[in-house]
Formats: sequence, structure tokens, C-alpha cells
Amino acid sequence: MAITGRDAFLGRVREALRRSPGAPPADAATHLGLSSDDVASAADGVRREMAESADVLLDAVAESAASAGWKVRRVGSPEDAADVVAAICAEGGATRVLRSDQDIFDAIPVDAALEARGVTPGIAAVGQAGTDIPALKQAAFDSEVGITGVDYAIAETGTVVLHPRKGLSRLVSLAPGRHIAILNRGDVLPSLDELFTLERAAYQDGTLEGSMNLISGPSRTGDIAATIVDGIHGPFEVHLVIVG
Amino acid sequence: MLPKTERFKQGARETLADPVIQESMEAVYNGFHTNRQSAGQATEGWDAQRDRGRAIKEHTIANLDYYLEMLTDKVDANGGNVFFAEDTAAATEYILDLARARDVKTVIKSKSMVSEEMSLAHEMEAVGIEAVETDLGEYIIQLAGEAPYHIIAPAIHKSQDQVAEMFAETTGTDPGQTPEELTTTARGMLRETFQRADMSVTGVNFAVAESGSIVLVTNEGNGRMCTSIPRVHVAVMGMEKIVPSMQDLGMMLRILIRSATGQRISSYVTMVNGPRRDEEEDGPEEFHLVIVDNGRMRLLADPNLREALYCLRCGACLNACPVYRKVGGHSYGWVYPGPIGAVVSPVLSGLKQAKDLPFASSLCGACREACPVRIDIPNMLLHLRHQVVEGPREVRSVGRVERLVWKAWRFGNMKPGRFRTGGKIANLLGRPFARGGTFRRVPPPLSGWTRSRDLPLPASTPFRDRFKKRRSRGRG
Repeated sequence: MAITGRDAFLGRVREALRRSPGAPPADAATHLGLSSDDVASAADGVRREMAESADVLLDAVAESAASAGWKVRRVGSPEDAADVVAAICAEGGATRVLRSDQDIFDAIPVDAALEARGVTPGIAAVGQAGTDIPALKQAAFDSEVGITGVDYAIAETGTVVLHPRKGLSRLVSLAPGRHIAILNRGDVLPSLDELFTLERAAYQDGTLEGSMNLISGPSRTGDIAATIVDGIHGPFEVHLVIVG
Repeated sequence: MLPKTERFKQGARETLADPVIQESMEAVYNGFHTNRQSAGQATEGWDAQRDRGRAIKEHTIANLDYYLEMLTDKVDANGGNVFFAEDTAAATEYILDLARARDVKTVIKSKSMVSEEMSLAHEMEAVGIEAVETDLGEYIIQLAGEAPYHIIAPAIHKSQDQVAEMFAETTGTDPGQTPEELTTTARGMLRETFQRADMSVTGVNFAVAESGSIVLVTNEGNGRMCTSIPRVHVAVMGMEKIVPSMQDLGMMLRILIRSATGQRISSYVTMVNGPRRDEEEDGPEEFHLVIVDNGRMRLLADPNLREALYCLRCGACLNACPVYRKVGGHSYGWVYPGPIGAVVSPVLSGLKQAKDLPFASSLCGACREACPVRIDIPNMLLHLRHQVVEGPREVRSVGRVERLVWKAWRFGNMKPGRFRTGGKIANLLGRPFARGGTFRRVPPPLSGWTRSRDLPLPASTPFRDRFKKRRSRGRG
């Protein structure tokens, strides 16, 4: 779009560093890491590891997510997953339930399970039943539960990774009081480092999304008398349903 | 924010006498400091990651022009706008102009130390734009009209009762609320504000040069609200907050968060790669990155102080510092308290006024040990002390009398004969005023010495004479 005031600013930086403009630093390549081919092959390596170590990583993330504050439930089938999601909504007495418009809901029959309990979930997508952005925002703030899939989970930190995009609103995992995330086997990364390898590869391919959220437990504060309290701005309760 | 750094000694005395703050500050050590220590021990290759973090910062700062150019080219390519601001006035003007041009009524702010340098919320309110701090700690100190007490825990000095009273005055809630109830009250008030916000201002924890991304770390989720709801998102960063590659982020987030709170990771980490894409469901239509100098060039230009720009703003040096834990955050008189503040505040806001800050340290080295990127704070404090005493006239601030006293001291210690005679004279002259071998109080300009400790009277028989006598006795 626009860059304002750069030349003068960089001039002052160079003066302070006693550097002249021009060539990249001699060791920039080391610090910018791998070449694009190497990044692509590192990303392939990460995907292979996710598949090969899927079970170990799933066990690991179940543990780290629980210690990060997720309420973790493991299920064996898509139908069981849908039932657990509906049961969590029912336990909290929720009637206003919002879900994202991700493909995972084609495989996991959450809508049917909720409707069996008399709850019709809203779908957080612009264009659904004439919804525009303000209406989507209103729905997200009014809902008691938001349900999403999971792009990746991270075993090191108990983190759920979401890339907002078409079908996945930024608010559906944030504004409702409870968030339920559904994780499939095979989507777990060992650590933050592998996540950023994949992000880097996506950037080089031109497929990086506009933003990314790492979610590791409920919204938390310790700002009053150093007492930890859950649920300041975002969800006070987060559930991770692990399938497989 | 206008510096009140000249009030250091007075502020420190007031804080030492305040039992509520002294008790609140216990959490800084018993919570943050000990949590950081256990988090470090539990992290594989912790020290190696700190070394790597330091190497990355060293390289980035040494080539800052190169990475700033790369970062801003990429932000531009991502559809964002970049504004370079030489000082806080220029940054403030850009943001206020933008707010007016977009007909903004309500701004939500996520924690940003640079925006504290700018007093941005205050400047916005002054021109009739509602500006609400959304980090709960910042919200509390905004209600109280105060400055942050700690880099990551701005309201750490407030007791539960004080917060409850403040909320009661603002909202009419019961003044006896628990932290849980108070949090629920704040949740309700702030959610209402989030929903009508047109613009957000956030800080930046890391900016990634190779992709034009910015990264925000929060536990509360206000950073996410700020990057989800308003039409316009403005991110403000000090010019030093860059890492070259996304690949650096895993390690940088690890050392930042584990040093700050001891958590393995914060509840939320948000990466923003420009404004909302066309097909997206929600998110800001505009993204602006404001890059601020405001005196940082002086840190960059001085090889003795340059590493202050490696700081990740984790607050670990504050928690580790025996002086900060007692004198508190407000005594430092500007945006950045504690050991790193004692380096940064004088350089950014004026050393002459802040001349006491470099001396607010016992040089014990706890800050350097706690720092995730091993910034040598004690060495920089010594450098600044040197500037205060012997630097160029515009920064030097030691009075003429004190200089004269030190000159006399130097004269008296130059030759053994002068030293011997001087000691005897001091003993004779001082004896009538001393009690039990010490002076309780001496007149100015030395009175500062005896305010919190006794000055011993020089011995009537110096050690060297006693030693001589013993040795000759021993031989005999």
C-alpha cells in the first residue's frame, strides 16, 4: 500500500551503525536460514514425521493440552466425536451454539447430534442466511459455545493452531464463553519449530493465510492481586475433542 | 509520557514506606521469578536457546537498516501501510490523522509499551476519541490514571481491595468483590467496548522481516479481539523488534514467554500477515505498522549501550532485581522500570533528569543472569554512571561541591603519608561527634551517606600501626 518516511529513517540507522547502504550482510543467508528448495523439503520432512509418529504425537498433545488448561476427551469415531460435542453443549446448558463452516463438519456429524438434543447450531459464515460481518460478530458474541476444527495441534505446548479464512471466522473460537476444538489424528506437530517451518513453506508457496492464532488453554489473567482467573475476554472453558 | 525520572529518590522512599505495595510486590518474586527458574530448568537446551536468541538479536540489530527495509517491503506487499516515526509526536499525529480520516469513534488498545511512551490513549481522549485499554492490568491503571508498574503486570502494585473500590466507583458494583467477580465485571464492561470499536492499536512482540508478519503474545485474548473486530488495526513497534525469519519464532517465543511468566506458552499467540483477505469472514480491512525511533538511535549509535535494543520486554530483570522489588515501578519515573528501565529511560528521556537511575542498582548481576538474551545490564549501568560523573557537560550532573569532595579524597589518598595523616586528623576532628565509633549523621554534602547507614569513625590506631606493633612483639 504505502511506506512513509523510510529513506530518512534508514539514513539515520546507517549513520548510527556507521554502515553504507547496499549489499546484504555477509551472514544474512545463515540468519534467513534455508533456501526455498530446502524449506520445501524441510516441510515435507515435517509432514512425514506427523504421519509416521501420529500416535505418539496424539498421546503427547493429549497430555500437554490438559496441562495447558484444555478439557481433553478422546474418542474413536466421528459419530462419537459428534456425540461428545453435543454432550459438552448440553452439560453447560447451551442453546445458542455457533460453528465454523469447515470441511470437518462434513465428516463429523455435529449438526445431527446437536439437533437430536433440540439445538440448531448457527454457522459462522458470511452469506449464510443473509449474514454480513456485523451480524456474524453479533452471533459470535451472543453464542454460548463456538465449535471449530483444528488446523494443527502442537505436542510441545498443548496448542491448537487456527488460520482464519473463508469458512473459519476469527471470532467463532474467541467470543463465545466456551470453545470446542475437534482434532484429527495426523494433524499434530512435535513443536513450535515445525509449525514455523510449515508456515515458512506456505509463505514461499504463496499460500500463507492472512493471520494465525495459537490457542493454548482458556483466556486468562493474573492482573488482579496476581490471582489467576480464567475467562477475561475470550472463552473461560476450552474443550479439545481428539478423534482417533 | 512525560518523564518524572528526577523523582527517583523521593518515589523510592514513599514506596518503601507503603505496606500495601510492599506486600503486593512479593508476587513478583514468588510468582514470576520462581516460575521462570523452573520453566528454564524444564526446557531442553535452555541455555543454548538463549545463546541463539542473543545471536539473532545481535545480528539483526547490527544490520537493522537491511532488515527494516525487508520488513517494510513485505508489509507493503501484503497490503499493509508503514509509517516511520522519528519521535512520539510524529507517531501520534499519524494515528490521530488516520482515526479522523476513518471517522473512528472508539479505539481499543492492547498492551504496548511504545504507546505508553506516546501517552496515546490520553492524546486520543484529548481530541474526543474514546480510547480504552483492554489488557486488564492496563485497564485498571487507566481507571486509576497511573503509569504501568511492571512491563508485563502493569497493576501488580494494586491490592484486591483497591481494585474492587475502583470498580465500585466506576460501575457501582459491590466493593467487596473477589478477583473472580472483578474479572467477570471487567469482562462485561470490555466486551461491550470491543463490539463497538472501529479501530485498534496493538504493540508488536516480534516483526518478521522475511514475511512482513507481526506477532502478538497475550494471555487474555485482547490481542485477538483487537485483530478480529475493528475495521482498522494499527500496530506500533520500537524499531528494534525484528527477527529475520519465521524460523526464529519458535525459539524466540519460548525464551520470551518462559522468561516472562514461566508458562510453556501464553494462552494466545497471534500472527498477522496484513489486512483481512477478500474472501475472509471477518477481520480488519486495513493494517498499519508504525515504526518508532524516539531516542533509540542513541542506543544504536553507542556500542556500549547497543545491546539494550536486544530486550524482548519480558520483565525477568525486574523480577530478579532486589532494588526494583523494593522501590517499585513508579519510582523509575517513566515507561520502563527496573534494571532495563534504568538503562533505557535515561537514554530515551534524558540522562540529566534521570541521573539517579543508573545508581539504582547494587550491580549484583541478577538482571544479567535472568535476561533471556543475556543483556549485560550492570555494565551498561556503569557506563551511564560514568557519563553522569565525567560525561560531556550536557549530560553530566554531579554538583560542584561533590566534585570538590572527591578531589580532596583523591588528594588525600595519592600518597601514603597523606593517607596516614588524613586518617589521624579525621579521627581527632570527628571524635567529639561520633557515638560508639560511628557517625549517625553528617552534614551535607555527605549527608546522603548516613541517611540509611552509619559512617565509621577512622580508627585512632590505624591497622598498619597495630600490625607493626604485633609483628615487632612477635619477633621479640
